[in-house]
Amino acid sequence: MRRTLRFVAIGTATGFLLAGAVAGPTARAQAQSIQASNAWARRAPAMGGMGKMDKMGKMGGDKGGMSGMGGTGAVYVTLSNAGSQADALVSASSDAAQTVELHEVKNEGGVMKMRPVSAIPVPAGGKAELKPGGYHIMLMGLKHDLKPGEKVGVTLKFEHGGEVRVEAPVR
Amino acid sequence: MRGFTGIIIALLVVAAPAGAADFKGGLLSPPRPAADFTLTTQDGKEFRLGRERGKVVALWFGYTFCPDVCPTTLADLVQAQQALGKDADRFRIVLVTVDPERDTPARLREYVKAFGGSFTAVTGTPERLAEARKAYGVVAEKRVVPGTSATYLIDHSAFVYVVDPTGQLRLMFPFGMSVPDMVHDIKRLLQ
Repeated sequence: MRRTLRFVAIGTATGFLLAGAVAGPTARAQAQSIQASNAWARRAPAMGGMGKMDKMGKMGGDKGGMSGMGGTGAVYVTLSNAGSQADALVSASSDAAQTVELHEVKNEGGVMKMRPVSAIPVPAGGKAELKPGGYHIMLMGLKHDLKPGEKVGVTLKFEHGGEVRVEAPVR
Repeated sequence: MRGFTGIIIALLVVAAPAGAADFKGGLLSPPRPAADFTLTTQDGKEFRLGRERGKVVALWFGYTFCPDVCPTTLADLVQAQQALGKDADRFRIVLVTVDPERDTPARLREYVKAFGGSFTAVTGTPERLAEARKAYGVVAEKRVVPGTSATYLIDHSAFVYVVDPTGQLRLMFPFGMSVPDMVHDIKRLLQ
């Protein structure tokens, strides 16, 4: 029982931290209605770090993930919209990767199809859950390994709600 | 094609509640011998499925560029393996790449390392891999997709094929099956 209580306390504290993290300076005015919670990233190798810049400032072998040889990763998050206006996640960026895209996975008769999407809707008074087998933020051309215990910073850009910054723990 | 149809029929059979209650995953009824194949591991060693008797083997056909479905499934299988405790070494997880073009042994090695070395990843010639997929009814189609900077993506089957210790293909785990359910089924097959 005591353990449960402590767990709840930690959970609540994490909640406050996340709430603090989402109200970034660029977003303060408009982003009140969008809240990001439960952000996390899947562990992933950088695959030789081919998304890295070399000393001359040129891209490594991967050219920013264009060849598809760099490591990839996925970030998940729950987006809640407390406002009365429908919003949508329209893009994301991260220092951890050369390219960041919004993707959706669909299970069609047991065959998984992953496709890019231009926006992930967050309905008014509702939420969008980015989770495995659904929507995810795709990182391509990882600049370093995503290791459990570390965090990935991602800036989310909304159609109306400005920008929201999340720190996604890797697990 | 015949194999694929067979599996579809088997799945339809197991969808019926009677008889399948002992397993959480899709039961192949009757079981059939798991098609043997020989491929190359991330360490350049030979992997032959037929040599894995005595173990439960989980086959996952995926690729390392896949950021969502593949690592999710592999992470769940690794968790299931850890939950087996003393029986963990009687459960082998094998990633069979559907992307030999990009998934070189070196790349597979780095991928396996990121997951703590708890599974085996295998590759081979496109022909050998296609044969293995066909035998299990696995679909893998390369797609050049507009709107992404990825050169190509691969649509692929998302079942885990589970082979019992006698070499029979017994179960198919659908995507998103819970880890406790996987552990339940693996333990039953190890009994």
